[in-house]
Order: sequence, then structure tokens, then C-alpha cells
Amino acid sequence: METIWQGIFNGLVMGWIYVLVALGLTIVFSIMGIVQFAHGEIYMLGAYCTYWIAVVLGLNVFIALLLSALIMGFVGIILERLLFRRFRGQIEGSIIVAIGLILLLQTIAAIGFGTQDKWIPTTIAGALNIWNIKIPWERALSVITGIILVLALFLFIRKTKMGQAMVATSQDIEAATLQGIDVNRVSRVSMAIGCALAAIAGSLMGAVFGVQPVMGSYAMEKGIAVIILGGLGSIWGAVIGGLLLGLIDGLVPLGANTTVASIIGFSLIVLILIVKPQGFLGHE
Amino acid sequence: MKLSKHWGYLFLFFLVFVIPVFIKSEYYLHILILSVINIILTSSVRAIAVTGQVSMGHAGFKCIGAYTSAIIAMKLGLSPYLSIFVGGLAALLVAGIIAYPITRVKTVYFSMLTMFFGIVVTLVTSEWRSLTGGTTGIINIPSFGTIKVFGMVIDFNSKLPNLYFALILMVIVLFFLYGLDRSYIGMTLKSISQDDSLAASIGINVARYKAIIFCIGCFIAGLAGSFYAHYWGILNPDSFSLFHSIYLLIYMIVGGTDRFVGAVIGAFILTLLPEVSRVFQEYQPLVFVAVLYLVVFLLPRGMVELPHQMKPLIRMFYQGRAEPHARN
Amino acid sequence: MLETKKLTKNFKGVQAVSDLDLNVRAGEIVGIIGPNGAGKTTVFNLITGYLQPTKGEVIFNGKDITGQKPHIIAQYGVVRTFQLDRIFHNFSVIHNVVTASHLYARIGLWEAAFDTSGYRKKNRNTGEYAGNILKLIRLDDKKDEIARNLSHGHQKLLGIAIALAANPKVLLLDEPLGGMNPAEVDRTLEIIGEIRKQGTTILLVEHNMQAVMKICDRIVVLNFGIEISRGLPEEVQRDKEVIQAYLGTKKDYT
Repeated sequence: METIWQGIFNGLVMGWIYVLVALGLTIVFSIMGIVQFAHGEIYMLGAYCTYWIAVVLGLNVFIALLLSALIMGFVGIILERLLFRRFRGQIEGSIIVAIGLILLLQTIAAIGFGTQDKWIPTTIAGALNIWNIKIPWERALSVITGIILVLALFLFIRKTKMGQAMVATSQDIEAATLQGIDVNRVSRVSMAIGCALAAIAGSLMGAVFGVQPVMGSYAMEKGIAVIILGGLGSIWGAVIGGLLLGLIDGLVPLGANTTVASIIGFSLIVLILIVKPQGFLGHE
Repeated sequence: MKLSKHWGYLFLFFLVFVIPVFIKSEYYLHILILSVINIILTSSVRAIAVTGQVSMGHAGFKCIGAYTSAIIAMKLGLSPYLSIFVGGLAALLVAGIIAYPITRVKTVYFSMLTMFFGIVVTLVTSEWRSLTGGTTGIINIPSFGTIKVFGMVIDFNSKLPNLYFALILMVIVLFFLYGLDRSYIGMTLKSISQDDSLAASIGINVARYKAIIFCIGCFIAGLAGSFYAHYWGILNPDSFSLFHSIYLLIYMIVGGTDRFVGAVIGAFILTLLPEVSRVFQEYQPLVFVAVLYLVVFLLPRGMVELPHQMKPLIRMFYQGRAEPHARN
Repeated sequence: MLETKKLTKNFKGVQAVSDLDLNVRAGEIVGIIGPNGAGKTTVFNLITGYLQPTKGEVIFNGKDITGQKPHIIAQYGVVRTFQLDRIFHNFSVIHNVVTASHLYARIGLWEAAFDTSGYRKKNRNTGEYAGNILKLIRLDDKKDEIARNLSHGHQKLLGIAIALAANPKVLLLDEPLGGMNPAEVDRTLEIIGEIRKQGTTILLVEHNMQAVMKICDRIVVLNFGIEISRGLPEEVQRDKEVIQAYLGTKKDYT
């Protein structure tokens, strides 16, 4: 019985990381109309950034995390300005740009940091012991951070002007412009938020599973799966989808292994796409 | 005009079929074989894309073909010359199962669907150890052996005959696909990507066309994969990853989706590029990225556009040359 | 020839079309008119399979075609045009019509790929066929122009040419005169007349009152999805209910 709870816990740990990745993707999609394929690389760079600040510069891990999120958010704004705005709406062009970016960033990471796993220093040592289940604080951090960030995002969208502007833009970009909303500014903010979330997700994953140049690709596969499960553009969908996929990835390995978990998860996505492409909570 | 076009094709034919004899480097022969395989794959993914179905899982069908052919040849002792068709058929079968249901799936979702499908194929291949050898893969796959043609002995354990075999396959596939593309059917397929409601209103069975071309494209991918298996002799799931599927699309887009020859050019140049730029070692992907960005920013319609874009520049050049004489 | 029986469509509580009984006889030109939002295009969508009716039937030449797929209905001989310009933008004019001659051409996959002599013959015939249609629609001087470069009026005509190429027995024209100036309207009306002379039955939806009165044999008037009047143009024009229906809305004339 304990193992099932362990599996559920692991599933939640992974799940919340997936949620953070998917949130970034879904926000960028709903505002900018593109699936930012290089999102995984931001996640990866965020992890390396945290590693570098924490290990090479020697700062406190939490500060490193925060700085990394800020830096990646900034990088996101630059990317939006230089690349994505120009190819808005152009599927073929934006794919090339994104793939180019992926290669570029992975190569830079490989050259800069080498291909060996790097480890982000332990955030909180020790573990909690509830009902004979070992809950390492490090892993629990993903869950806690995930919940806090989602609530923060929710409040941001509900209570702030920018949040409302984002909602308006995501629903109808022309109507939003007519209402006087600076759509470019909204795009920048969305990109920044998305990238910051990705950086945090990457760092959390990096703390638990290590940092590698290719970690972004795996994250993207899960991220896209989540937004399809939950529906492109839906925040709550990202949360539900992320947790669901996380639970599959946490529980299936108890009977089989992680590969089988992925097979089940992704096959589910294929089926959903055939039957109801909009996912659970998607619109359009 | 027509005559020079025919001489042009003859020259190209000569180039393609005679030059390989003079290539001594095993390494370059290998790269050429890979580029020929990529030409076949890219052309087939383009054929499907023409109906608006951009498949991000094409490498998955290559995988199905490759493993099926290898396993059938090794476990049942079937000659590779036959098993490659079995490989193609296996890919066709799998494609056939999903072809119809996926015709109703719209553009972006279709791409994602095929992407995950391709991933699942790779994962299943790595997982099904008893059949496929898992992540270690299969080795010692029988080659096309030695055959006697017109008294000559052709040994497929060396690279050159494999290149010619690949070229012959390529010519057949391109002949078929180009014929289709240029024809009435090709026009019908292109009309589907422009406006499928309109196409339906004039009696075109959109779903059937989409499904059939999807199956044909995947069959070709399976065939190409099977050839690869018997040529290279070794298989493992990494050769068929998502990145491979995406690269095919990059070859197609960078070469130029609008024109048939775009896929050929894109595949050829971009397969060669990483090898040619090996000198840069770990910086080599950056060269690739540079080329990608150059094309996407300067030649939005792909590399096929290059001659067209160069025309005004060439004209300017010649006019500049002529000026001094005119200025008497 | 073409009938609907109690055709009804509900969209989440809104009755777009209610109990419509249409009867179009061979060789007629029947017009459907009504204020904006009266459900006219919905009727077309229901007849041609783009929408499933909530209730009712569509019968063509005695055969029940209710709710079948659009391409099947087109193959039976019921072809429609679209209100919003629907053409193949990247093709030339002649290619648009040739593609649309799909049903006439009946070209198979293998003969096309291998360029057989049978294929070439079919190709020639189709080319002729398409050329004749363009002559009828008076677009033959523009046959090599890329469709997206045509003027609005010409694009609308191309839409009709496309539908015509599918060899329809009944042609459903959805606002064929939309956005046209008076000269274009007159030319289009002439063309529609010639199409009828060739033996094609026509059902059209239009806003342009004068044009409808000129060309239609009979008229059906819809308001809020319900038929409020039918009959000869003169009768309908004088019908009090029809005048009432239009009074509260903008008058459409060109």
C-alpha cells in the first residue's frame, strides 16, 4: 500500500513540474497564437542558470532560482521581440525559427556546460515521514511551488489590469486592440511569465533529476501532451492535465517502468486528438 | 527551349548515375546514401503535406518498415529484396489503420497527433525487447548479398552498390510522386489544402484523398526504412526519434514546400551540410542553424526561390558590366 | 426535383429554420429572400449536408439525401456556391475550373501518376469542358490569372464557374450578387439565365430585391427561419406580411 502512495507522491512531484511547463506554453499560445517549440530550451537554460548561479557563483539556491526566473523572463522578452513577433501566424516560418533556436540553445548549453549531468544543490535537506512514506523536502518543493505559483497566477489574472488585458487578448486580439490594450506589451508580459515559469520548472526538475542539455526535449513532449489533454489555452486544463499525466508517470512505473508510462500517456493523447482535439477544457 | 530542357535532364542523369563511380571515400558514399534516403523520405512527407496534413511522425513509419524488414529477414529467412516490401507493407498497414480517423483532425492538431504517434512508435520499439532488441537494437541484419547481373558480380557488402540501389529506388519513387504531383490528382490534393469545404462542395471526397495519400506516403517511408536497415546492418530506436521526423519537415520547408523539387534540394543540401561542416566540431550545429535562419529570413519560399531571387541581382551585374561599353 | 419537407434546424434553443417545405421543379429559378438572419444560408447548409437538420427531410429526384456528406450530395447533382468568396486562391482561373471538373473527369490515381494515354485524353477533354464553362461565365479572357488577384466580382463569378464544373442538376447560388455594382449584377443575371437555358435548375438566395424580381420564376420569403410568403414575384412583392418583415430592417437595394 505504501508503494502506491509513494507512486502518487512521485506523480504529484512530476505533475506539478509538468503543470508549470504547460502553463507557460498555454499562456504563450493563447496570447500569441503559436506553440513556442523552443519552450523546452528555456526550461533547460533556466536549470543551467540556477546551477551556475548556485554552484559557480555560490549564491543561495533559492536566490539562484529567483534570479534564473527573472533572467529567463527577460530572455523571453528579447526572443519575442526579435523572432516570434515577426513570424506570428506563419506556421512554417515559426517552426524553422523554433527548431533553429532549439539547436542553437542546446549547442550553447553543451559547449558551455558540457554534456555531463550537473546537479543543483539541495534546496532543503531531509525528508518528512508520513505514514511510512518518505517525502524528501526537495521533491515536495515542486508540489508546494507549483500550487503557490498557480494560485499567484490566478490572482494575477483576476485582480490586475495586466491580467485582465491578457484574458481579453487571448479571447479576441482585435477587440482587445480596439479597447486600447497594448497587445505588444501583453505579448511581452506573457512571454516573460511563460519563460519564468519554465525556468522554475527546469530548476525544480534539475534539483531532483539533474541538468542535461537535452532535458528540454523531454519536457516539451510532456508539456505539449498536457496542453492537449487540458486544452490549448486553458489554464485549469494545464493544471488538471499536468497532474493527470504526472500521476500516470508516477503510478505506472510501479507495475512496469517509465517508458511504459510514457507510452500510455502519449497514446492517450493520440486518442484524444482523434476524438476530441480540444481536450477537456479547451475552446476553439 | 524544350531541347535544352531535355539535355539538362540528361546531364543531371549522367551526373547522378556516373559520378558515384568516381567517389572512393567510403565516408562520402555513406553520406550520399543517407541523403538519397532522406530525399525519398522528404518527398513522401511533402506528398502528404500537400493536402494540409503536416506529419511530425514520419520517422515512426520509417522505423516500422526498418524493424519489420530486418526481423522478417532474420527470423523467417526471407530475402532482403522481398522483405523491404514487407517492411513497406507493414508501415502501410499501420498507416491504414489510423489514416481515416485522422483525416478529420485539423492542421495543428494533426501535426501533434502524428508527433505523439511517432514518439509512441519509438518508445514501443525500445520497450519490446524480445522482438526488437530494445534500446540496444538489432545487429547483423543481412545485406542485399551478392548477385550476378550481366555476368558482373555485385557485392552489397560494399557501399557503392547500395548507393546505386538507393538511387534506383529514389528515381522510381520520385517518378511516381512527381507524376502524381503534376497531374490532375496532384491538383485535387492541392485544392484540399486550400479549401476543403469548397472541394467537398464539388464532389471531392476529401477524407478519401487525404487517407490514401497518407498511406502512400507512409508506405514509401517504410520502404526507405527497410532499405536503410539492410544497408546499414544495425538498427536502434534512436535513429527514428522525433528529431528525425522534424528534420524531414525542415528539409521540406527550407527546400521549399511549394515546388516538388524543393523537398529534393532541401534533403540533399541539409543532409550534406552537417557532414561538410564537421570541421567546426561542437560548433557544427550552429552552422546548420545559420543556414536555417538565412533561408527563413531571406528566402521565405525556400531554397527553390534562390534562382528567382538571384535574377535581379544577375541582371544588375550584367547591366553594370555593359555600361562602360555603352558610355562611349 | 428538389424538395424539403418540414426542414428544421435548432441551434441551442434558437430555431434557425422551422418546418420549411420547399419544392423546386426542374428548369425553374426559385429565389429565397428575407431579412438578414432569416436563415437563408442555413437552408443551403442543410440541403447540401454542411449541417445536420434537427428535423425534416431533403429529397432530390425522389431520393432521400437528408444529412448526407457534402461530397456525396454534390455527386448526386446538387451543388452550391458560398456566400463568402470561396475559390482556390493559389490556382489560376482555368485550374480552378479544371479541378472542379473532378466529377466530369473521373481520373484515377494510377493513370494520373503514370501519364497514360487514357489519362492524357481525359485531360484534354476536361480542358475543353472547363474552357466552355469559362466561356459561359465570361471569364475565359482571364483564364491564366491567379484567382486571388481577381476583382471581387470576378471571384464571385469564378465561384459559380466552379460549382457549374461539378455538373450539377440543381445549382444552389448563395448570394451570387453580393457586393457587385449594377453592371456586374446585370451581367451575372444574364449568365444565370444562360445557365438555366442549358437545363440546370437554380435555387438562389439573394438580398438584391430588384434582381430577384427580375430573374426568379417563383419566390419564397423567410423571416426568422419561417416561411412567411411564397409565389410569383409580383404576388410576393405586394404581400403585406413581406412588407412588414422588411420594414423594421434596412432596405437592400443596389
